[in-house]
Amino acid sequence: MSEALTVDTLTSGYGEAMVLRDVTLRVMAGEVLAVLGKNGMGKTTLLKTIMGFLPAYRGQITIFSKPTIGEPPHHLAGRAVAYSPQEQAIFQELTVEENLKLGLGRRTRFAPELKRVAAFFPFLAERRRQLAGTLSGGEQKMLIMARALIARPKLMLVDEITEGLQPSIILRLADVLRREKSANGTAILLIEQNISFALSVADRYAVLSRGEVVDAGDARQPGADASIAEHLSV
Amino acid sequence: MPDSAALAYPVRLPSQRSRIERRLLLVSSIIALALAAAGPLLLDTYSVSILIRSFLYGAIAVTVDILWGFTGILSFGQAAFFGIGAYALGLTVTQYDFAPPVVTAALIGGPLVAAAAAGLAAWLGFGPKVSPLYISVITLVLSVIFVQVIYSGGDFTGSSSGLSNFDTFDISIDGWFRIAGAFLVAVTAAGWIFVRSDFGRLLVAIRENEQRCRYCGIGTVRVKALLLIGSAVITALAGFAYAGYNDVIAPDLGTQLVIWVALGGRGTLIGPAVAAVLIDFISAWLSGSLPFIWQLIIGLVFIVVIVLLPQGLGPAVADLFRRGRTRSVAARLAPLPDADVAGSGAVPAIQVASVSRNYGSLHVLQDITFTAGAGELVSLVGPNGAGKTTLIRCLSDGQERSAGRVAIEGNPIGRLPPEACVRFGLGRKFQTPNVFDALTVAESLRIARSRRERLSVICTADEVRLPAAAMRVVQATGLSSQLGTTVKHLSHGAKQALELAMVLAMEPRVLLLDEPTAGLTKSERSLIGEVLVQLVRDHGLCILLIEHDLEFVREISSRIIVLHQGSIVMDGTVEEVTNSELVRTIYTGEPHAVAA
Repeated sequence: MSEALTVDTLTSGYGEAMVLRDVTLRVMAGEVLAVLGKNGMGKTTLLKTIMGFLPAYRGQITIFSKPTIGEPPHHLAGRAVAYSPQEQAIFQELTVEENLKLGLGRRTRFAPELKRVAAFFPFLAERRRQLAGTLSGGEQKMLIMARALIARPKLMLVDEITEGLQPSIILRLADVLRREKSANGTAILLIEQNISFALSVADRYAVLSRGEVVDAGDARQPGADASIAEHLSV
Repeated sequence: MPDSAALAYPVRLPSQRSRIERRLLLVSSIIALALAAAGPLLLDTYSVSILIRSFLYGAIAVTVDILWGFTGILSFGQAAFFGIGAYALGLTVTQYDFAPPVVTAALIGGPLVAAAAAGLAAWLGFGPKVSPLYISVITLVLSVIFVQVIYSGGDFTGSSSGLSNFDTFDISIDGWFRIAGAFLVAVTAAGWIFVRSDFGRLLVAIRENEQRCRYCGIGTVRVKALLLIGSAVITALAGFAYAGYNDVIAPDLGTQLVIWVALGGRGTLIGPAVAAVLIDFISAWLSGSLPFIWQLIIGLVFIVVIVLLPQGLGPAVADLFRRGRTRSVAARLAPLPDADVAGSGAVPAIQVASVSRNYGSLHVLQDITFTAGAGELVSLVGPNGAGKTTLIRCLSDGQERSAGRVAIEGNPIGRLPPEACVRFGLGRKFQTPNVFDALTVAESLRIARSRRERLSVICTADEVRLPAAAMRVVQATGLSSQLGTTVKHLSHGAKQALELAMVLAMEPRVLLLDEPTAGLTKSERSLIGEVLVQLVRDHGLCILLIEHDLEFVREISSRIIVLHQGSIVMDGTVEEVTNSELVRTIYTGEPHAVAA
């Protein structure tokens, strides 16, 4: 299996405030890595640095065997990388359909792809003409996920997608991500606080604390949840 | 403890900073006044006569910066306000003789008319559902109308040639120079003290997030109207002085003030004042030797500055002098004695009767009826898109619902705006963090407390007094060690915690919480659960809460309402609801089969 994403001794932050320190991670194709941690430990900063929204102070980021530091975010998006941010991620004044089309390359036909993602989230097809800003908070989260999935990305970066979702949708989402991984060989870097969801999807996990990886392991090994819970409760 | 947390960080108290700044301000004001006094002795007469006008413009630029740079109100009305002040003198002394009572009437009447015009513009431009652009358009229209009125006034107003050679004060040009200089120094110093006060931070809060301000119970429209009126009065006084000195008035002060403010650096106060004085002064000198080219040069400079230094020249110059890290400044937290905030209990805390909400043909809420009393923690659960957030919106803003009645603590909310609902004892936390990105944590908490403790327009308080519940949230989530941190730099979860603490700081009797613990860790969640239960049990609050974590809901609720497709489908005890077949089907669910 090939490497989709390698983060090697990455250090980054905002101006003078260093948030990540020497973070090393690897996600293989067809693998889900869950990164867990409390608030303010650098999870979102990690994704923003990988996407090129924040500069890296030190270290290497390699996506599909190519170093990407210094590349603008839209280049990465062109290389089958999909990013689902936590905040302000949809175009409120565009319709559901227009938001989805923005996730799709220009040459791909929309109708069959809509059908595919609407199988996961049926309301998308029913309300394609509705303005995305008038969707409820949870529905907006599902739209973000659908927009990431619609382009069949090879690498997905997902930031706390379960926040504000009802339990049955979280279960469905876990199912969708597992299918996406095994059917398309998608690599997924999942940022989460919901331990049970993360472990139900992930192959491996890592825990970030104060910008450093303090625990990592096999997500299916017994006791993984207890080990993570301990780090998150400190 | 807050004190130990404060010690661990290099944080200064606001009073320590303001003491240094005030000393600096005093020294610079004295130097500036001395220069104004000595100016006529050092400069040639032409420069002196030009600078009188430049100083007056500088003072107006300060008020424009307070409006635009700090509060986000872009006003083009200064031309009209200046003209009103100038024509007040010109017209009265041409119609009546130049006598002390006549001049006094003009001195008071001009600013009063300007204030009325500003009040009218504010009434039209700061409505509840209009964009910030409205006030800009309305003030621009005001200035255009003013010029047209002067043009069509015939001999009375002097039409386009203006008024000249009217009797005026017997003050030498040197005297006017000193008056204008002192006026500029006074307005700048007062403006500086104002924007650095606690109230000054409210201006930034309004610019950043007016909605959150209103949900803190602050009448933002009133604040903005008063600022515009204050600016109009100062501008009219400047116009009065200009007419008194110049003896010639024409309706000509255009929109260039806004450009000067942008060049000088919005939100720096000194920058716009200096820019206005310099540009007006240099323009006067150069417009003689380089008649039309000079305007072009100013235009080009403006474009270059906006492209290269979008913040303007002021901040760029200030950066040159800034060395090393600036220590962050934050007030310390102080606990408030437990006050009894509970309602009388005689009337239900929340009364909702046949409320519905439609967006066109889409029925988001239909015939919602329920009541909740003091000492109840009611959880609102339901699938995504069931209308939960819409319901909270209808309870906290009288404009939101399409039909039905809502009363908070027995007060019908009618069509009242959020700030009025908040005054009935309501507190609302939004679904996604709704905070002030440009303020620090301590400043945000201070703003949230403003309805209980007035914000000073002169000083900055060293203490933010918090009720016990807000204090616990702040301490347990680590915010107490980040009091000087700008909110923009907080993590998503920390912003959630901050907003919750802000709402609790308002000491509400009815709390509407939309996913208060989303993005927080389990331990932080259980702590917030404890705080909420305590508020309900010990202080008799009524809490209506939206949550998706059923385990959390089960632990803390006294009752659960289930919303599905815009209607209440269940309203019962925790056991009844969590064990029901219905909730399993529509909400928790089994893994759905996903079509390939």
